Amino acid sequence: MDILKIVKTSDTPNVTLDSNNNIFEFSYRSLPENAIDFYNPILDWIEEYSKNPNPETIVNFKLEYFNTASAKQIAKVLLQLFEISKNAKVKINWHYDKNDSDMLASGQRYSKLINLDFEFIEE
Amino acid sequence: MAENKFANLDFSLSLFDAMQKDNLSYIYRGIFNQQITDSILALTETNLQNEEQSSKMKKRVYAIMVEGLQNVTRHQNEKKIIDNDNLGLFVIKRTEERYYITTGNSTEKTSIPIISKLIKKINSLDKDELKVYYKQVLNEGKLSNKGGAGLGLIDMARKSGNKLSYRFIDIDDINTYFYLHTIPSLTNDENEFNKIAKESLDNIVEIHNTLNIEDIRLIYNGMLNQESLMGLLHTIEGHMSDIPDMKNKMFYIVLEMLQNIVKHGNNPTNHEGGNPGIFFISQKNGEYLLNTGNYISIDKVDDLKEKLKCVNKLSDTELQDYYASSLMDFKINDDKKTGLGIIDLRIKSTNKLSYYFKPINKKYQFFALQIKL
Repeated sequence: MDILKIVKTSDTPNVTLDSNNNIFEFSYRSLPENAIDFYNPILDWIEEYSKNPNPETIVNFKLEYFNTASAKQIAKVLLQLFEISKNAKVKINWHYDKNDSDMLASGQRYSKLINLDFEFIEE
Repeated sequence: MAENKFANLDFSLSLFDAMQKDNLSYIYRGIFNQQITDSILALTETNLQNEEQSSKMKKRVYAIMVEGLQNVTRHQNEKKIIDNDNLGLFVIKRTEERYYITTGNSTEKTSIPIISKLIKKINSLDKDELKVYYKQVLNEGKLSNKGGAGLGLIDMARKSGNKLSYRFIDIDDINTYFYLHTIPSLTNDENEFNKIAKESLDNIVEIHNTLNIEDIRLIYNGMLNQESLMGLLHTIEGHMSDIPDMKNKMFYIVLEMLQNIVKHGNNPTNHEGGNPGIFFISQKNGEYLLNTGNYISIDKVDDLKEKLKCVNKLSDTELQDYYASSLMDFKINDDKKTGLGIIDLRIKSTNKLSYYFKPINKKYQFFALQIKL
């Protein structure tokens, strides 16, 4: 499967979705005005990946900040991963800065709403 | 009417009045560092780009800003103690007719005659004489021991094409506050220029006084779009770099407040490039007050009021439930209608939201929002 690699800008994150090397990562910031446009190719990629996922998928969220528009799109990403978790192993590593209790709270909220294996990692 | 007391409401409304007159004003009062200087320049550059001005004028404004910001930083770094009275100041204001660029810093009274003499000398020279004088000072190299403050002033005068305005206001027995006020490229006669320069500087000294009393650190009044809000966030990061836990929270809140204006605000003016808005930060008793103001069309007012009342009433648990149900509601696929912004602000600030609506005309109201941190 093709690798999806998006390089960060001042208001969008680095995204690596690479099934060959089993690397799935979101980092930096997600603050775009048009979050839907930004996340659509990501959702499409995961949709395709879900047809034949790796035995284990570990997704690293290493975001410093995200806006509420992105929050909704991240929820969609996690729901897709939940679908995959029905047939394969999926784990979410939710990284947060030790000074940022809001980022931890956001991750905990997702973990309550979506039945996925979350690990919270303080940076 | 707001359920919560809206601190500085008079100030907010007076800023709003100013907003209707000026196309842009940006004020920063605080510690100056590289990140702050860069973000101020970037933010102003964004605004300059969107304006119909000759590129020569834009370059001049930019050059004067660079020089002014360097001056303030240099003076700040000489001080042992930085307190409320001697924080550096940077102001850029743009009206239909012209730009006004002002910097302020405290200095010892003993330097008054030196600075006054230098500026008087600069103001007495014409364009060609300034060029000669610049070279002369450059060659002498040691006009001031501050690494070229004299050169900076000459350069600013050359770039502005006008006289430099200045003023000293006593702080105490030893210290004075020095304002340097530049109005680039005004071709009017000298009498009119003097009048404009005096009035506009009076105005800034007055505003500065209010800023000191209310401990206001940053004011932005201009077009809000994704680019300018990123610039403001960058300034906040620079300003808050010493307080990491507050920095994150403030970043989130300012981001949502400003993105709300970009998405839901309205633009009744004929200027393009976003929605007009004001944003300011003040500090009081260790708390931060984050304020925004923008136009909103009448048909959105009731829903917004309802939403604000609702989130202010809810308990923490109810707020979490409300957020969760909006987050997982995918019926409407529209970035503008996530329904999360206001709830998120209420949760992250942990305080009730203060707000105020003021009717403007048949189509618009002015909406002010204040969040305490």
